[in-house]
Amino acid sequence: MKKIMVGNHAVSWGVMLARAEVISAYPITPQTTIVEELSVLCADGRLKAKFIPVESEHSAMACCVGAAAAGVRTFTATSGQGLALMHEMLHWASGARLPIVMATVNRALGSPWNIWGEQTDSLSQRDTGWLQLYCESNQEVLDTVIQAFKIAEEISLPVMLNLDAFFLSHTAEPVEIPEQSLVDGFLPPYQPEFRLDPKNPHSFGCMTPPEYYMEFRYKIQQSMLQGKVVAQQADDAFGRVFGRKYGLIEPYRCEGADLILITSGAIASTARVVVDNLREKGRKVGMVKIRLFRPFPKEELLEILCRVEKVAVVDRNVSFGVGGIFAHEMRAALCNEKVRPAIFSYIAGLGGRDVTPQVLNDVIYQTYKRQEPEAQSVWVGMRS
Amino acid sequence: MPEQIIFKREEDMPYLPITFGSMAGNKTGTWRYLRPKFENKISPCNEGCPAGQDIEGAMVLIGKGKILQAWDLFKEENPFPAVCGRVCFHPCESSCNRGEFDEAVSINALERFMADMASRQGRKPLVKREKRKEKAAIVGSGPAGLTCAYHLARLGYGVTVFEALPVLGGMLRVGIPEYRLPKKVLEEEIDQILELGVKAEVKFRLGKDFVMNDLKEYQAIFLAMGNHQSKSLGIPGEDTQGIMSGLEFLKNVNLGKAVPLGKKVAVIGGGNTAIDAARSVLRLGSKPFILYRRTREEMPAFLGEILEAEEEGIEISYLVSPVRVISENGKVSRLECLKNRLGPADEDGRRRPVEIKGSNFVVEVDQVIAAIGEEADLSPLPKKLGLKESAVLTDERGATKQKGVFAGGDIIQQPRTVVHAIGSGKRAAIFIDCFLKKKKWEGLFEAIRIGEQGSLSAKRYLQAEDERISLTSKTVRLKDLNLDYFDYKKRKKMPKAQVAKRVGSFEEVNQGYAEETAVAEAKRCFNCGVCNLCDNCYIYCPDVAIVKQGEDEPNVIDYDHCKGCGVCVEECPRDAMVMEEERR
Repeated sequence: MKKIMVGNHAVSWGVMLARAEVISAYPITPQTTIVEELSVLCADGRLKAKFIPVESEHSAMACCVGAAAAGVRTFTATSGQGLALMHEMLHWASGARLPIVMATVNRALGSPWNIWGEQTDSLSQRDTGWLQLYCESNQEVLDTVIQAFKIAEEISLPVMLNLDAFFLSHTAEPVEIPEQSLVDGFLPPYQPEFRLDPKNPHSFGCMTPPEYYMEFRYKIQQSMLQGKVVAQQADDAFGRVFGRKYGLIEPYRCEGADLILITSGAIASTARVVVDNLREKGRKVGMVKIRLFRPFPKEELLEILCRVEKVAVVDRNVSFGVGGIFAHEMRAALCNEKVRPAIFSYIAGLGGRDVTPQVLNDVIYQTYKRQEPEAQSVWVGMRS
Repeated sequence: MPEQIIFKREEDMPYLPITFGSMAGNKTGTWRYLRPKFENKISPCNEGCPAGQDIEGAMVLIGKGKILQAWDLFKEENPFPAVCGRVCFHPCESSCNRGEFDEAVSINALERFMADMASRQGRKPLVKREKRKEKAAIVGSGPAGLTCAYHLARLGYGVTVFEALPVLGGMLRVGIPEYRLPKKVLEEEIDQILELGVKAEVKFRLGKDFVMNDLKEYQAIFLAMGNHQSKSLGIPGEDTQGIMSGLEFLKNVNLGKAVPLGKKVAVIGGGNTAIDAARSVLRLGSKPFILYRRTREEMPAFLGEILEAEEEGIEISYLVSPVRVISENGKVSRLECLKNRLGPADEDGRRRPVEIKGSNFVVEVDQVIAAIGEEADLSPLPKKLGLKESAVLTDERGATKQKGVFAGGDIIQQPRTVVHAIGSGKRAAIFIDCFLKKKKWEGLFEAIRIGEQGSLSAKRYLQAEDERISLTSKTVRLKDLNLDYFDYKKRKKMPKAQVAKRVGSFEEVNQGYAEETAVAEAKRCFNCGVCNLCDNCYIYCPDVAIVKQGEDEPNVIDYDHCKGCGVCVEECPRDAMVMEEERR
């Protein structure tokens, strides 16, 4: 069955199909309609979950931590400032090895106030031990929610899926709604090894001295790396059941390319059009969409990029003092490779500014023109 | 400390930080610098009840369907729940915190409900204590006198009540009409007092049939003769045939005497007696109308009664004073009146009526009932008791200046209500007991008082010191409650007799709750300041440091592990917990 739905409702329906058992959230634009729809689904009984309204995002995540520790499938969603407020509990969720799934509707951070799209909110949380996936379409959003639970529960780590404010969250697209029975087959009920149980008491996350703490951290790192394998397997399995798969990264028309545009989220769909146009004109341009950001898919990228001269990374985010975060991660991932492309870094579309085909054409044009990358990220689409 | 588990290698360790041994040895209580504590406080209804009834406690019991136990609790303080459940002006409800939230709990109707159920099931008050040789005399069998008799009898004393009228009950019997308080309801509660061994001498009037000195054989005396003397109108023609006092009228009706009224009956006054008289006139088939010299704002009658009178179509004319009775053939035929306007407030805060010169008018009447107030007849009392302005002076115990003589009810300086009379009767019984046992009474108030408004608890008085649940003097207000835990809920209405059926009939107007309604209404109670085992503390404690005991047993705090975070206190809906500084 296909339904026309906005990205936020695609999240909610994904959560319903995944049969989440506890949802705790605090509303924030542009995430609000996710939890609004979920509260409706809970209220009318289509989703049999406990919906816990709270007074802050910090509490929302604390609630999810408690519920997940009790052994139930748990979901929340937030945006921008809300995610920032959650920060402390994000570390706790991963440290406690709780497979919580969260949707982040990427929103620019204040000050100044801005409710529009930008990825700096989620990328600021890249060191919290959460897996991060970035979606390009509403269909991918719904499918990724279901995959996220699968991955999270397999490796006992939380997963964050990201969608662009308004470009996805509030834009309606046709979305294929998977059969519930197929989803149930793909995602069986959550059965953790340990759970809070008064009949079998344990202390969770208790004081751990220097003699042991480091080992627990090591295990998280190992699981995180394992997450890449598990995410790939989950995507493959999803593809077999539902006929749709997305990959950890998606190369688009990269055959014989001399320049590859790298981006993520909704910009990728604009990039496809730009690449198609340039290919028609005989330019050997390709595009790679990065879907999995944490753990970083270094090997997968290297396989595509090692044959290319130039890579142009378009970041809708900024780490002040460094520049575009995806570009930065790319450089760090590839710096020890003998054969590697030159990485050109561009910052575009902050605070919801449109990244138009012209902007991407400009990125490609500048990358062709320059011999070497600039020392700093180049800001494109600026007022001039 | 529990056995320590040593992991040699990383692979041996679980994937998440979790304990496998008991953590009880980790006494996190040592981290605490504040400690939570259960502490019951005063609920405002209990403080507001001059009879000192444990209303909050009764609400819990009714809510659990334990109706008779709730009645037992009331009976420990007050022998008249069936009476009060009908005629009390319920200051408890005006104090109810729920009143500020949505609507006060319908305590008065619930009191009546449990009394009616106790009556249907033949429940009797709990047995008295061991017999004592001392005897007490009680003058007057109204609510004050009979309450004092009840408590003294339960304390084991021999009690004799002397009553001037041929029937017991005082104003309850002769002042309140049947449609508000059916005789059989009153008689049943009086019978329960007599069944405790209280003796009663009727038609035995102080000053006529006996004097104070005749009571020498009694070691203690309680005076509670009430205010049975009507104030006169003080206008020309007042002694004409067809003029009578409200009290006399009500007494005659209540005693079943024929009272010829004629058609048009003017009732003068704005107090409860006036309203009772007018409504009784209506029921006897005549047409009453009320003349009151101030406005409705200043009327001393209970609002509910005024509303019911209006419902029944009784006309009330405000700002009208009678100035002369005009008679024809020796019988009243017309009443000359004056119009008033309101002047400045007098000493009781109500605005004084000021006559408008030349505004005289005349109304036709067949009968005038003057109900402008009652006072006590203190002429039989010796001056040495301490008398002032038609009242007997008493100290905080209800004792007069004469040793062993106590007083209460309407003849002392306190609000003239049934429930205040009951409170004063109980207070006298408690301090007569102290007097007869030569017990020190200083300091007793702290142990047995319920709040700051003078209510005392007989139950607490009878308890041994270590038996008494500690109770702080703090009265819980709405701001002290955690209102997140309460939903808005309208109070349940009590069915009433149809207005058409009330005219010409003394059938009771209010008809009482059904059990289901009563239980639901009792559950509206916030249980201000008293733990009702809602278990919020247990649910919220992050350290499982609230320990549940047996059913209906209070929760206790495991101070070995309580870190003093205060979540329990914060989440207690009813202010039954406090934080205090840890003393080490």
